[in-house]
Amino acid sequence: MTSNISRRKFLAGTGGVAASLTALGATRSKVFAAEKTIKIGFLAALTGDAAGWGLPGLYGVEIWAEQINAAGGMDVGGEKYRVEVISYDDEFDAIKATVGAKKLLFEDEVSIVLMLGITPVQAVKDFMTRNKMLTTTLVPTDISADAPYLFAPVEVHPFYNVTAVDWIGRNMPNVKTAAIATQNDELGLSSQATYRAAFEVAGIEVIEENLFGFEVTDFAPVVSKLIAANPDVITWDTAYPDYVNLLTEQAYLQGYKGQFVNCTLDQYSHILAKTSVEFLEGFLWQFPDLDDPIMQGGGTHFDNAAAFYQTYEERYPGAWTAVSWEYAAALEMWKTAVGNAGSFDPPTAAEALRNLSPVPHAFGDAEWWGESFFGINSAALGKWPVVQMQNGKAVIVEMGDVRAWMDKHGDVLIKHFEALGVPTSA
Amino acid sequence: MTDLELILQTIMNSLIASSFTAIFAVGLVLIFGIMQVVNFAHGALYMVGAFSTWYLYSELGLPFFVAIILATLLTAAVGLVMERALFRPMRGNLFGGLIVSVGMMFVLEVLSVYLFGQGLMKNITPYFKESWHVFGIESVTIAHSRLFVFAVATFILVAFWLFMSRTRLGWAMRACAQNPEAAALQGISIGKISMLAMVISAAMAGAGGAVMAPLVRITPQMGHSVLITAFIVMIVGGMGSIEGALIAAFAYSFFHTFVTTYVGGEIATILGLVLMLMVLIVKPTGIMGERESV
Repeated sequence: MTSNISRRKFLAGTGGVAASLTALGATRSKVFAAEKTIKIGFLAALTGDAAGWGLPGLYGVEIWAEQINAAGGMDVGGEKYRVEVISYDDEFDAIKATVGAKKLLFEDEVSIVLMLGITPVQAVKDFMTRNKMLTTTLVPTDISADAPYLFAPVEVHPFYNVTAVDWIGRNMPNVKTAAIATQNDELGLSSQATYRAAFEVAGIEVIEENLFGFEVTDFAPVVSKLIAANPDVITWDTAYPDYVNLLTEQAYLQGYKGQFVNCTLDQYSHILAKTSVEFLEGFLWQFPDLDDPIMQGGGTHFDNAAAFYQTYEERYPGAWTAVSWEYAAALEMWKTAVGNAGSFDPPTAAEALRNLSPVPHAFGDAEWWGESFFGINSAALGKWPVVQMQNGKAVIVEMGDVRAWMDKHGDVLIKHFEALGVPTSA
Repeated sequence: MTDLELILQTIMNSLIASSFTAIFAVGLVLIFGIMQVVNFAHGALYMVGAFSTWYLYSELGLPFFVAIILATLLTAAVGLVMERALFRPMRGNLFGGLIVSVGMMFVLEVLSVYLFGQGLMKNITPYFKESWHVFGIESVTIAHSRLFVFAVATFILVAFWLFMSRTRLGWAMRACAQNPEAAALQGISIGKISMLAMVISAAMAGAGGAVMAPLVRITPQMGHSVLITAFIVMIVGGMGSIEGALIAAFAYSFFHTFVTTYVGGEIATILGLVLMLMVLIVKPTGIMGERESV
């Protein structure tokens, strides 16, 4: 049998195929590189009382991951990684948090776990430490010397609450008395201690306090008693978002005319709709909208803050809460740390995170702090905004210095923590 | 606000709480009295009423009063289905009825998550945004939305009382509650009466949820704490006694509201349970309950 394929044609053909395969191989290997995936664990309440501080945060993390992936992924150690978010609902419950943590570590093999704080974090803290898993909490009272991989990189709750009260002390000399109402749990009590301290330092007397349980369905009696004391300022402390909503509405319906200062004012568009722009005018709290001009550069560290906020609002209208950006802000910091470390390995990333100085916090440069309270410097402490309602919109009126206040009045804070039985290592 | 004004305000708060607790508890007692079912899904029916109102009014934009009526009818329809599909096959089986009602509670709660999502409470922009200054006193107020709850609850309770005391169907229901066998021998259809009772009970829970929707947290689990209160009222009033439930609803609500105001919310719940225990020690059958002879 004779062949009509010449040697030259054969070489050219095979060469072409080889070149094509090489090119294809190169292309495939590039595709594989871009498709390397790094997994982020999200373990917080997506249902139940604390869902308002879990679910909106997950939305934010998903938007953050989308933005990272749209920009080509995370660049670590000279390679690109696509970010994947894996979430479990812990329902703010210790057992469910433990199950979720085991799944995230052993089945999903995540590189970092983002958590809300308090009970679920306490439940998994030892497990995370034993497995050297980098974990973040929004509640610094969770951190302790025996948990070196647990960080509070974003929130210094409840300490930042002092900034708004400090602002009142300097700008509203007519405010002399205060009333506090909140739910009776760790979150409420630690915040109550902080407000007590802040009011004491500002020369404001606390004349009424009411702690309520989770079974309360009618807030009218709670508000009636508070208003009856005629306080100049009322705080709902760190009440859960739904409680703030209903308590504020009750205060409106019962004709309260004084000032408010609070930790959060989540989904305030709904509260505005239930009350009025005039009623909420001047309301002070601690969490800004990220489209605030102050958040666009000028020493803050949250890339594309306004774009993030706009995407969030478009996708989840009216759902913006205190935590919408916070878990994403923790990831921003983690991105810097793994970039410096050149590795996603959790202990290595934790070490790199600890070595950040200054800490690039969303609200500006911060420092690791906490040894005096918790025995370890794992909470990022720096500036925190005082936010005021102005014509139905959140406006940052000041970037308060939490660190300076703590340095000056930390003893007052510790006194009130101890009085309410809130644990510190001090 | 003076001490006297705070007392007056607390009485007003108590009256509103009493009226809602009464319609909710009476519906629960009605089912126990006639069908011998401890309906754990009663709180979930309240939730159905609230969610339906939110969806029809806030999401679909129907007029508020239309939304309330439709929500009540929808909840009544759910009650009808429950009676036919769950409670009727379990008639005479106290434990079986209890178990299926617990199951139905979970089904309705999960269904609400499936249909409407999870997370923060659903918000209803209130139809009524103003308040009434009681007797012209500036510092003593009742929101119109709460007055509306009082008016609706009063209307329902009066209508229910008239129905039970002035109509043949009402007499038939009372007969079934007192002695089902004797009622059946008189030609009364136990099945039809049970169905009617369940529809009325569900409608009461649904109407309660509908009118309370602008005032409370609309969540899948919103019925739990209300149900606990209703159980306390049912036990204190006397199992199966509607008159007892009414008295207990007012007594408990006044007690709970006053303690919440003057001592604290947590203590109020604890003392409410202590009150229940004390009543049971003094009168084990409850305020209006009757001792059963063997």
